[in-house]
Amino acid sequence: MKRVLEWVKARTGLDVAIAGALEEPVPGGARWQYVFGSVLTFLFMQQVVLGILLAFYYSPSASDAWASTAYLNDQVAAGWFLRGLHHHSSSAMVIVVVLHLLQVVWAGAYRAPREVNWWTGLAMGGLVLAFALTGYLLPWDQKGYWATQVATGIMGTVPGGEPLRQIIQGGPEYGNLTVTRFFALHVFVLPLVLGGLLVAHIALFRRHGVTPPANLDAAELKRKTQPFWPNQLFLDVAAMTICAVALIVLTFKTHGAELFAPADAASNFVARPEWYFLFLYQLLKYFEGPLQIVATVLLPGAVATMLFALPWLDRVASRSPGARWRALSMVGVLMAAVTALTALAIVEDAHNESYQHGLVVAEKESHRARTLALEGVLPAGGIAVFDNDPKQKTRKLFKEHCSTCHTIEGQGGEEAPNFDGYGSREWLTALIRDPGSKRFYGGTKGHTTMKAVPATAAGVTKDTAGAAVADEQLRAVVEYLLSLAGPEVGATDAALAATGKALWNGTVECSGCHEVEAGKSDTGPTMAGRGTPAWIARVIRNSGEPDLYGENAEMPKFGDKLSPDEIKALAEFISSQREVKPDAH
Amino acid sequence: MSSERDLPDADPHAMPPEDMSPEGVSRRKLLKLGVGALGCGLAVVPIVPALGYLVHPLRMGQGEAGAMLAAGKRKAFGSVPVRVDLYADRRDAWNRESNVKLGSCWVVERDGALQALSTVCPHLGCSVDFDAGEGQFKCPCHRSAFDLAGKVKGGPSPRAMDSLELKDTNGLVSIRFQRFRQGGPTKEPV
Repeated sequence: MKRVLEWVKARTGLDVAIAGALEEPVPGGARWQYVFGSVLTFLFMQQVVLGILLAFYYSPSASDAWASTAYLNDQVAAGWFLRGLHHHSSSAMVIVVVLHLLQVVWAGAYRAPREVNWWTGLAMGGLVLAFALTGYLLPWDQKGYWATQVATGIMGTVPGGEPLRQIIQGGPEYGNLTVTRFFALHVFVLPLVLGGLLVAHIALFRRHGVTPPANLDAAELKRKTQPFWPNQLFLDVAAMTICAVALIVLTFKTHGAELFAPADAASNFVARPEWYFLFLYQLLKYFEGPLQIVATVLLPGAVATMLFALPWLDRVASRSPGARWRALSMVGVLMAAVTALTALAIVEDAHNESYQHGLVVAEKESHRARTLALEGVLPAGGIAVFDNDPKQKTRKLFKEHCSTCHTIEGQGGEEAPNFDGYGSREWLTALIRDPGSKRFYGGTKGHTTMKAVPATAAGVTKDTAGAAVADEQLRAVVEYLLSLAGPEVGATDAALAATGKALWNGTVECSGCHEVEAGKSDTGPTMAGRGTPAWIARVIRNSGEPDLYGENAEMPKFGDKLSPDEIKALAEFISSQREVKPDAH
Repeated sequence: MSSERDLPDADPHAMPPEDMSPEGVSRRKLLKLGVGALGCGLAVVPIVPALGYLVHPLRMGQGEAGAMLAAGKRKAFGSVPVRVDLYADRRDAWNRESNVKLGSCWVVERDGALQALSTVCPHLGCSVDFDAGEGQFKCPCHRSAFDLAGKVKGGPSPRAMDSLELKDTNGLVSIRFQRFRQGGPTKEPV
């Protein structure tokens, strides 16, 4: 073993390189406030590892992104943990970037001769935000999709920003190219640029050394100096461990990262950016119309310029914080403003009922989509996951086989009765009043057997002229009709139904054509079980049965075309329409 | 310039003399151990879950025989092999695909009975073809040749062509499509 080590040392000079990396004096001694840079380096490396792992299952296309993310999150062993850790670590990076920046500002480490180091640091801070923005979209879920729409939308409103927006999102609208571009940026471009800047940043840091506390004089700094290895590195690694433990606890507590329903361009999702962008989101509320550019470009630009120019703005001779109160208060005011805006955004949302309601709906949709995704998502991807919903499958079946003649949910033909509200009191009443209307048999060829039952003149309960009945009498007839169908179609008022039965056999003369016992045939279909799934299923199978529509049947027989399960599902779907409000579509 | 005042001393890279007292030595040893232990702990965080995560494909359903798939009418087959594509629903990671081509097989009548042979060459998985002129199945990749019963007649294939379960129900032929491990002398489902 020792000989192998010696050989490696002799051939590679690895020992010298490692010693060179570790042997660095820390003037004034190791301190906790120096750990942030190391913690960021650690977080970045961990993000790289986690990102590579996620790429083993993630597929960057508009049709695959959501389904593959749901798969890796909900079906692959430990996928939720790795994705959750990647998600939460991005928040941790933003926090540690801010802490690092504040420490550098406090220590005056941005001052000469460390300006370039300061600038590379600022650039990396910006890159961390760019990582967050690009990564947010990749799952192609509702939240990422809509939050990013806002971000690219802002880009488009800036003068000259529209071409830039289209280049970044790959065209005038979101689609496959948006995913591939954000993926390429997030996974290749940004890590390479950040890695390069990190090397420069660390090299510059080593060139100029740690910025020691300003209150110690040269002699004391020298006396208290400790080596980086192991004194400072121990503190660094301890801080990394604290950070990692916090992230693991957070990941377990939240059971990973949230994943909303697949992106749906036709929905109205309550879009919010990730928490560290909330201050910008809040700022946007105060600048409307032509002033919007103040919040989107001018103010952020001014802040960036101020930070960039900080080494020149701060020209006082002493590095002690007291002497640099101007620079410190500039950054202090900035941080206070960001914190206040963030807090305002959170408080406003907490009191925003429609937002809170939107969150509840979003959670529900997310749960539904992810449960359906366990069966696998059709290759169309994204919202095609909802096709797994049995009701959706039935809807599709209806569209294929029934909607040429029947309308449901506002769509379909008029050659046969409209099923919106089918079997409800309102529907039955309207049918009895006017069976020949387009809504019922008006479009059905040769279907004119049933006579309308017109309303009586106002206030008259019995019209001697014919079969006309008053509205309240018809209410009773409909109640009787529903009671014949049985409890399956809902509870009925027994007294009212009894009144209706008398009218049925008497004044209204329904019994002349309709039987009320199962299996008995007459001119019209039997009313026993009418509107129940079983009755509807029989009609679908063969509406020409003698106890159904008999010789008047115009509908094709579906007994051979559809499977028993399909007929059952269709019958249940149609029967359930009586609970749907007619204006729901 | 203020910059000079920001530098702690002339040489920021001069290493301090090491504290060689027994306490200093043991303290440094402890810190080094701590760095090593915590560092290993940090590495474990993504590595341990990653192991289960990366080998997840091993836990997917293996060797499960699929359903009998419709292959055509009995009349369509005879002593000349006919290539049949088999369609079924399939799961592919996150996708659910309906009615996609799973694979194909050769169906040939031998001594009055139908037999189905997978087109997947048992050697290295190329698609085995039928050479009508020679009346042999031939693999285009490595020149394995098989007779109508699927027996090896030449080339590197370690075993006969893989037969598939075939059923004739009232003149309708159905076949169970399966894949088998390649390259070995025995037929094992994968």
